[in-house]
Amino acid sequence: MSTYQEDTNYQLKRIREISNQVEIFYNEAVVLGDHAAHAFGGRSEHRSQMTGLETIANSTFKTSDVFDYVKKQTARHREWQQTYPDGGAPNDRFGERLLKQLQEDLAKKRDGIANRLSVGDKTDEDRLERRHIHLLLMREFIRKMVVQYEYASSSSNRRREG
Amino acid sequence: MLSIVQEEKISLLSDTVLYPEAAAFLRRLIYEQHSSPLPTAQIMGLLNIAHTSNYGQLRDYVIHQRDRNWPDSRRSAKVFYTELEKLLTQMQTKRLIEDFRLVTSGQNSQQAKQEMDELMAALALEFIQHLVAENMLLAEAQRNRR
Repeated sequence: MSTYQEDTNYQLKRIREISNQVEIFYNEAVVLGDHAAHAFGGRSEHRSQMTGLETIANSTFKTSDVFDYVKKQTARHREWQQTYPDGGAPNDRFGERLLKQLQEDLAKKRDGIANRLSVGDKTDEDRLERRHIHLLLMREFIRKMVVQYEYASSSSNRRREG
Repeated sequence: MLSIVQEEKISLLSDTVLYPEAAAFLRRLIYEQHSSPLPTAQIMGLLNIAHTSNYGQLRDYVIHQRDRNWPDSRRSAKVFYTELEKLLTQMQTKRLIEDFRLVTSGQNSQQAKQEMDELMAALALEFIQHLVAENMLLAEAQRNRR
């Protein structure tokens, strides 16, 4: 077990840091959830792609597994290539926008948390901890995004049916 | 058989070193050397070999592909396998020991060779998995631009 895993005080600080960041990126996750609802609609065959992403993020220990998944889905499926005129970045496609968020924006937040918690970057233990923080941020981001996707697509389905 | 510590270290290297290097490798070939992404069948064939073979077989496959008499229309495959062979050779002869520090000390030559092959097979698989994802993304982006 690593020093970080054994330190309860550190772990509580990490939970608080992650929660703070979730508050900060919540709006971004909502916008991407809306983008997903626009691109995928509420159809069950497309819905499984969102839940598949969530499953990968929750089960892997490697951040690159999630990035590779997003890249492959973006290459394979038209829905992941859809732009969203109302989402503040009308020319950005869903998959590329999500990849940037996970790979770049959350990496900056990871580094901010690591610095505030005095997690170094020289030893493997430090790097494993940094990766763990990144994964926790990605899981939270994807969870919020998928919730918004479900909400937005069910709302639009109700409007269509009504 | 690799230890849990070695496997954990390879997984960390995959995220921190091999993932960005795989993306940079392909982008350099495509944007600087004006190559094209590999066709899906080619890249998936390479991934399949990486999944099912030992390192010696994988290396033989890469060299065989490099040395094939590719027509001009498939020049990109020649470039890809030439560069991949160089990268794997450098990983095996230099980085495995000096940078990655994965090799167990105090082994006899047969044990050391076997460990080296297992480490290289694991590292190459990680690298190739990232290559596949990046290749698919870049191929789609090229199709999209046309």
